Amino acid sequence: MYSLSYVKAKSLKEAAAFLAKNPEAKLLAGGMTMIPTLKQRLARPTHIVDIAALPELRGIAAKGGRLVIGAGTKHHDVATSAVVRKAIPALAGLAAQIGDPQVRNRGTIGGSLANNDPAADYPAAVLGLGATVVTTQRSIAADDFFQGLFATALEEGEVIVRVEFPLPKRAAYSKFHHPASGYAMAGVFIAQTAGGVRVAVTGAGPGVFRWTAAEAALAESFKPAALEGLPLDASGLNDDIHADREYRANLVRVMAKRALAKISGKK
Amino acid sequence: MEDTRLVTGAGTFAADWNVPGQFHGYFVRSDRAHAEIVAVNVEQALKHAGVKAVVTGADAVRAGYVKPLHTLNFPGKGGMQTRAPERPVLAHTGVHFVGEAVALVVAESAEAAQDAAELVEVRYRDLPAVVSPEEALAPGAPQLHENVPGNLALEAEVGDAAAVEAAFARAAHVTRLKVEVTRVAPNPMEPRAYIAAYDARADSYMLHVCCQGITTLRRHLSAYTGVPEEKLHFEVGDVGGGFGQRTPAYPEHGALMLAARQTGRPVRWVSTRAEGIACDTHGRANVIDGALALDGDGRFTAMRLDWVNDMGAYLSPASMGHIRNTSTCMTGVYRIPALYATYRVALTNTNPVSSYRGAGRPDIAYAVERLVSQAAVDLKMDAAELRRRNFIPREAFPYKTPTGSTYENADLLGLLDKALKLADWKGYTKRRAQTERAGKLRGIGIATVIENTGAGQAPKDEVELELDARGTVTIYTVSKSQGHGHETTLAMIVADALELPLERVRVRQCALEKQQLVGGHTGGSRTTVGAGSVCHLAAKKLIEHGRPAAALELGVEPSQVEYAKGEYRSKESKRAVKLGDIARAKPVSVIAEGKFGSTFPNGCHIAEVEIDPGTGAAAIASYCAVDDIGTVINHSVVEGQLHGGVAQGAGQILGEKVVYDRGSGQLLTGSFMDYYMPRAGLLPPIRGAEHPTPSTVSPLGVKGVGESGCTGSLPAVANAVMDALAPLGVGHIDMPLTPAKLWHAIHSARKSG
Amino acid sequence: MAKVTIKVNGKNYTKAVEDRMLLVDFLRDELKLTGTHVGCDTSQCGCCTVHIDGRAVKSCSMLVAQANGTSIVTIEGMAKGGKLHPIQRAFSECHGLQCGFCTPGMIMATAGLLKDNPNPTDEQIYKGLEGNLCRCTGYINIVKAVKMSAKLLRGKAR
Repeated sequence: MYSLSYVKAKSLKEAAAFLAKNPEAKLLAGGMTMIPTLKQRLARPTHIVDIAALPELRGIAAKGGRLVIGAGTKHHDVATSAVVRKAIPALAGLAAQIGDPQVRNRGTIGGSLANNDPAADYPAAVLGLGATVVTTQRSIAADDFFQGLFATALEEGEVIVRVEFPLPKRAAYSKFHHPASGYAMAGVFIAQTAGGVRVAVTGAGPGVFRWTAAEAALAESFKPAALEGLPLDASGLNDDIHADREYRANLVRVMAKRALAKISGKK
Repeated sequence: MEDTRLVTGAGTFAADWNVPGQFHGYFVRSDRAHAEIVAVNVEQALKHAGVKAVVTGADAVRAGYVKPLHTLNFPGKGGMQTRAPERPVLAHTGVHFVGEAVALVVAESAEAAQDAAELVEVRYRDLPAVVSPEEALAPGAPQLHENVPGNLALEAEVGDAAAVEAAFARAAHVTRLKVEVTRVAPNPMEPRAYIAAYDARADSYMLHVCCQGITTLRRHLSAYTGVPEEKLHFEVGDVGGGFGQRTPAYPEHGALMLAARQTGRPVRWVSTRAEGIACDTHGRANVIDGALALDGDGRFTAMRLDWVNDMGAYLSPASMGHIRNTSTCMTGVYRIPALYATYRVALTNTNPVSSYRGAGRPDIAYAVERLVSQAAVDLKMDAAELRRRNFIPREAFPYKTPTGSTYENADLLGLLDKALKLADWKGYTKRRAQTERAGKLRGIGIATVIENTGAGQAPKDEVELELDARGTVTIYTVSKSQGHGHETTLAMIVADALELPLERVRVRQCALEKQQLVGGHTGGSRTTVGAGSVCHLAAKKLIEHGRPAAALELGVEPSQVEYAKGEYRSKESKRAVKLGDIARAKPVSVIAEGKFGSTFPNGCHIAEVEIDPGTGAAAIASYCAVDDIGTVINHSVVEGQLHGGVAQGAGQILGEKVVYDRGSGQLLTGSFMDYYMPRAGLLPPIRGAEHPTPSTVSPLGVKGVGESGCTGSLPAVANAVMDALAPLGVGHIDMPLTPAKLWHAIHSARKSG
Repeated sequence: MAKVTIKVNGKNYTKAVEDRMLLVDFLRDELKLTGTHVGCDTSQCGCCTVHIDGRAVKSCSMLVAQANGTSIVTIEGMAKGGKLHPIQRAFSECHGLQCGFCTPGMIMATAGLLKDNPNPTDEQIYKGLEGNLCRCTGYINIVKAVKMSAKLLRGKAR
């Protein structure tokens, strides 16, 4: 790790002000991506501003047909929250599959979203449920938030405060773990929402995306058979030593079917 | 005995060492696979705060630390001698693989050394790289070393080519199979860590190391550096796994010695995992083109194997197993009258390859057992039946193989029958149907294997026992456990021979004051066979040693003294002399020695796998292992060794592989994010059984066990996966059998079928 | 430099450290608690697992500054008064260790797992140990040790 200064923020306002003054400073939440990145000297911030403990980023609540989760909430807390389990069980199930127990005890939803790793799990739920990312400056719809490989709509100095999930009628997540890293080789989140069916895919492409053909087909018939033979353009999918595009496309299809089967209560 | 220390965090692993006044080292490593070094500029680095020295290839060449030992020291085809490239401990004129050390920055802190390492400027002239051994041997390939034309370090052969040719001409059936035993990273959980200190007055070195025993390391390092063996001293604590990778001398040892001498201070280095995957020797990396000839009754008549061994960019000092061990048991457990094999040892722009758990034994077992199972498929025969028909019969032992080894004994039919029963071979069809009803594929795989263990290269094994007045016995050995439980096993052997409670026996491995003892390192499943047997002899010697003194005290003739349960007695005298009493005046010490040949553990492993056709993921549904490892000293230690070996073999089949980019030679599996490591759940509980035929080679009847697990599991698991896919018409697929690879195989078979 | 006050195995420490110092380096280098090991650089192996305020975390993946004000338990804090913790006993009795390098992390991960789930199934144990690598045992005896630990701890609770 390069030399840097650690700053513990006392409030969001203070953190934002610090970032504004120090363009090379970076935010630190759980640090599950940030610290390994720093250790490998892949980033060289002047400061890291720790916002993990800020009370403004805490809390899980269901109100007004929405589930609201503070950005500083750890994966373990989402996975085991009675409120989440009741409101959106698929989201609790997804959180329980992130990384490993030690990572879930540190990593946060806000950190995961701001990082937007193309193989992370949370982006699939946020996009699949059509959630809203609330920041220090504005509310951003999931469809606008994710902008491809490690890119988001966040501006310099903008901090995620909470995520608001509209409650779906039904939802499920199915994931195929990368054999080495445990990240998603392909993860598919399917939700039946008031606004229609949403299908979000993570791990398979350079960033989380909606499989619109599947959404249209499932809107017609919410059954696994509806996914047969659907077009899924493999050309944009990731291709690496672990899996080529064709295999990833297959995984998306298979994970989507399995998510549907979960929704309909079949294994 | 070692457990309490290890479960409480009180173990002393290599990175736990610190010595007063130490500096810290950080290696500058090549970021490219093949290049000429034009210049190394260390000026800026030297100016960095806290930096004490930057050691480079020029220093290595000046000191003469350039020619590592290699062990391919037998004549090749037509008397060809091995062509070994030089390898300065820090690269001087060129780099030949990604990660090769170019400079060593020494500073007051590890952070300062790393910070300054970024300031070392290395100017390269890039050269084309070749990472595949077959491509490296092809005409027109990039050449790595001037003195290794065609990148061919050695060409060798064993067996009788004419006899094989004749047998193939007569054969009723020939099964051919070309297989790859992939390059893997041994990855013991402890990263390497060393401290080198130089004593100017004595002109000697003290090295804190993690190793598998000091004797082999000392020999390698002395040859590499020219420092006489008696000037090299070692301090070894707990060692966090080795699997062969901790045996040889590495360039880093030598570079740290140079740095210690140059700065006059001890220099400490702790490796990262990334360095470990890139630079600690890899294992396996063989391509084997095989053919098996059978007569009309399904009896094997001849086998031919053509090997290409990928040794990486340089010959590691511990790479002989690739040829020696693969030829020792080339015919496996079968009677195959004619045999011929060729070896082409290739150099590539990759990290050097050396011993890894089995060191060639799993490779040959895999090649033969895949051939045999493929032959069973070709002939539509039961895989177990084909094996049974070709086993070396019990009465043929001791059995001399066509390559000149002597298998002392085995009961292969008994072994097979026990395994078939344990695995419920007959009930398999039912299980397969059950799996198919759940929408999955199921396969069963069998492997019957044998391997050479125990011999090693040391001229003999010596063990010293020291007895004190309290009757406590200390065992001194120069072998070194890396998780093998030697402190338990060796103590049990001595306690058993002396009829003492286990608590009265202590084990000290590689103790500083006993480094003159002769003996092998721990590798090649040899410690219980070698040092263990000598422990037994030493205990007997100790009893004899004390007899005259005991007789004197009892007032009888030595011949009238009997020893039992830690006491000397005689019928004539009612008194007893305690063992400790003979050490009342001063501790009593005896040294025993022994040299034993190879022992041949053998086993039958049966695996069943289930494959999810949707994702291609294979899971091991059941695993049975029946092993003949001779007399067992500690069942729990032996079972643990088997478990670990099976997991490493299964991991290699289902996921592990070191991958280099074909064009650039960059390492693509440089961390655990990309290099698959087995995790909990890879294996269900193993159903195991022992089927001992005590060895006649060692006085204890023991055979080596450290490598049996992976020797059996590589072919057993692969055969199971192939069996699952066979009904779809899928032929051989090379490891690793990853979900992606299996899905493609299933998908294209279904598409075309 | 950052000033940190941390309770480790029941004892308070106040030290000035470099801001970039990792928690694991603080434990190993500053406090000489070398039972917590480092086996990788990418947060995969779990050899460095300790408990912070009762939860298992990887001490290689956080700065010591982030742990300021917390209470930490390392492998050295598990045995009490010379008596092994039941999990330590179970690992030893089940031969759930060989080289012992991953063992401290495995034991701390097991303690975390059993806190959340005192009676886990095999599958739950596999999942619970996802963040820990072992190269020696094939995990079979580790799983056995976790089960025995669970039994011992449940017996103790009763």
